[in-house]
Amino acid sequence: MEKLTAKKIARHPDVVWREETEIRDKILEVLKRGEDDSSVSEQGTVSLVISGTIYQLNLLGGEIWKLSDGSLAVEGIADSLSSTFDIEKEVLLEDVKEFVVDLLAKGWLIYKDAL
Amino acid sequence: MSRGIGAVSHYKKPQKGLASSPILVNWALTNRCNFSCSYCYSRMEKNDELSRTQAQKVLKILVDNNVLFLNVGGGEPLLRKDLFELAAYATQLGLNISMNSNGYLLDKSAALMVKKAGFNNVGISIDSHEARAHDELRQMPGSYKRAVKAIKFLKETGVKVFISSVICRINFKEFDKLVSFAKELEVERINLHNYKCSGKGFTNKDRLDLKPDEWSDFYRRALIVQNKSKDMDIAFDDPILALLKKDKRNEARNPIGRILVKGSVCGKLTLYLKANADITPCGFIPLRIGNLLKDDFKELWAASPVLQSMRNKTPKGKCRKCKQYEDCWGGCTARAFAAGGDFNTPDPHCWYNPDGSIKLKKSKRSTQ
Repeated sequence: MEKLTAKKIARHPDVVWREETEIRDKILEVLKRGEDDSSVSEQGTVSLVISGTIYQLNLLGGEIWKLSDGSLAVEGIADSLSSTFDIEKEVLLEDVKEFVVDLLAKGWLIYKDAL
Repeated sequence: MSRGIGAVSHYKKPQKGLASSPILVNWALTNRCNFSCSYCYSRMEKNDELSRTQAQKVLKILVDNNVLFLNVGGGEPLLRKDLFELAAYATQLGLNISMNSNGYLLDKSAALMVKKAGFNNVGISIDSHEARAHDELRQMPGSYKRAVKAIKFLKETGVKVFISSVICRINFKEFDKLVSFAKELEVERINLHNYKCSGKGFTNKDRLDLKPDEWSDFYRRALIVQNKSKDMDIAFDDPILALLKKDKRNEARNPIGRILVKGSVCGKLTLYLKANADITPCGFIPLRIGNLLKDDFKELWAASPVLQSMRNKTPKGKCRKCKQYEDCWGGCTARAFAAGGDFNTPDPHCWYNPDGSIKLKKSKRSTQ
């Protein structure tokens, strides 16, 4: 976990991806209105294409993905997200860690120094 | 996972209609072809092809709408003299471009041009491990030899090569030999396409298409071959594979667990462009929903009644009784439409028997 905290996180260059901007905007609108509509809020905001298979990330996952540009470690990513998400910082950090560990294991995210 | 926005599974099997625009567009860049394959869906197309400037405009529109992948085909795309120029332009715009070709015109110099233009991969059509069967299906003597040569040239230049094969009555019993042949050629992947009854495929369906039980048998064997293959990807996505979901032997590699949407991907993740930029949901559904150069692409994607009805199907016939409908969504919409003129009728390849259980024919064939 020490390594994870210190190292900057990057997206694997072989992953082709895009943001689903309109879907993200729709989700943010629903959340801003305080509505609990999971049919909207659980939609994917970032699409990843990996070896011909398409995956999607939900809002928080998508935001973490976008911030994984090699300039930040997990704490920096959590800090950046705290302005968008009204969640306790410790809870947010745990979410980011869990997501990053999972995607590092899949090889979709990598440590920047591995590039 | 803790609470908070997004505190659900971060990546998941998403639901229908989740893409803001198509992720992949297949474009029949030209209808001209040097072959006349027995099942060709586009051989009878008569529409004009675009000028280079118009084609570049199409590429720009695709990029502006965040399309990630473009696969060019036809016809035979290498018959377009400006193919490499267009491909280089697409690459420069950021599109991931690939091509399907019969390989006949792909000599060493063309292979170098493919590499230089930035193609990610090229699919070469080979339908049988035997030259005679391939040439007969493609109706072009010598085509097998040229396709194999094309693969070698492409590999020498470092381009990723896939083999594309249409599964039909001529090759389905010995598809495992075709897979072994693909391995000998050291290609990255073999795509086993299911037979579609469109264009010449419709005319020749009685001679070439399989019966539902034969499709069941083929897929069961193909899943076993796929499970055993470590050194080459074997791809054969088909919505009716959901019928084999209960088959424990195949569960681990059943593509259903890996795909983004249920049923056909056409109109949900992908679209098809004709040579004149007319848009259809896929190459096998002859319903024009608009034209990329004349209509608002985003608007069509979001609101086209044809696409909407493909995304929101209502089960008819035996689909109403089938417990796998939730996963297969009536199978391939193009096949259903070709058979009954209705997106909602059952896929004619489906082997589900409402009077009994799903028919899972046991294969006696040794598969490799």
